[in-house]
Amino acid sequence: MVGEGREQEERPEGLDTGGDVRLTVPAAPEYLRLVRLTAAGLASRLGFTFDEVEDLRIAVDELCFHLLGDVDDELTGEPRRMALVYSAGPDSITITGRTGATGDAPEPSDLSEQILDALVDEHEVSSIDGMITFRLKKQREP
Amino acid sequence: MAFEATDRHELRAKLEEYAQTGDKGLRDEIVASQLGLAEYLARRFKNRGEPIEDLIQVALLGLLKAVERFDPGRGLEFSTFATPTIVGELKRHFRDKGWAVRVPRRVQELHLRMGTVVNNLSQELGRSPTIPEIAQRAEVSVDEVLEAMEAGRAYRFSSIDAPAGDDDDRAPSPAAAQLGEDDTGLEEVEQRMLLSPLIASLPKREQMIIHLRFFRGMTQSEIAARLGISQMHVSRLLARSLTQLRDRAGAEAAPS
Repeated sequence: MVGEGREQEERPEGLDTGGDVRLTVPAAPEYLRLVRLTAAGLASRLGFTFDEVEDLRIAVDELCFHLLGDVDDELTGEPRRMALVYSAGPDSITITGRTGATGDAPEPSDLSEQILDALVDEHEVSSIDGMITFRLKKQREP
Repeated sequence: MAFEATDRHELRAKLEEYAQTGDKGLRDEIVASQLGLAEYLARRFKNRGEPIEDLIQVALLGLLKAVERFDPGRGLEFSTFATPTIVGELKRHFRDKGWAVRVPRRVQELHLRMGTVVNNLSQELGRSPTIPEIAQRAEVSVDEVLEAMEAGRAYRFSSIDAPAGDDDDRAPSPAAAQLGEDDTGLEEVEQRMLLSPLIASLPKREQMIIHLRFFRGMTQSEIAARLGISQMHVSRLLARSLTQLRDRAGAEAAPS
């Protein structure tokens, strides 16, 4: 599905075969642009279509934005950081991450749930060892 | 913008000559001598989220128009005539483009151009194009396409009665006119409002897009075809709706 020529020069070796991409940014909404861009960049390498890339961008933004809302409420001296791991499968992307917030997993709103259901194949927010952790997966159309 | 009397005479003489000869070199000379005025006016519009260099470009365009249209016979000072022309151009820029955050001009242009590219490719391929395919067609890099996709989020909120985005291959018309009048989907949309009264606060077309995308599971391309607008426009409206919903949700209920 990928064209010839053009992306040859833009494709460093080794990224296509499942190498993870890690991103750590301050846990603040203004950094979601980087979170989205990274997702879109990786998805485009895997041959995701425009529609699919859009879905993934909106989904990761939706999920992270709501989780960051909780982070803001916790006032600690240290600025929190959000850590994400983007894993590329042969035709899917899985994004897992932590916002730096602790406690029980927040309940997503009905609307948020509906949005994520429509956009990605899997999504969940859980509390692992007291750390709020999220995960979403988007499959590429064969 | 005070000028020495001799400068003013010189300017007037040049304007008179230009009005008669239409000499492009002379016009450029006049524009160059008035750069200060354009920059001064452009700076009055900074801090509105547009890069100053872009504003200066717009102001220069206004200045150029002023030089073209200036009629020396009317006895007005050039700066008196040019100021409203330049300010008008700057205001129109903000109104037309509606970019709320800093997006470089080339990215804006690519974003708008991509609407056509994505539509054409979707039709040719019978499916949504990949990013490298879009890049190849648009003759830009993959990174630039990704950046242009991001730029859609920067679009300022506008009224549904505002002109629709100029990425559509049609004459700009009020967005409301593009709403299907008797679309049965709208009834369902209204029923769904029970789930989120917030959605009801969005313009009708955005309610429709939210509904089709998130509740009916249609793709962005399908929605674009159904509503007769470009896919980029759907993408932009979706991003905007979601941001609006968040802002309103945040305003109505304190975050848990």
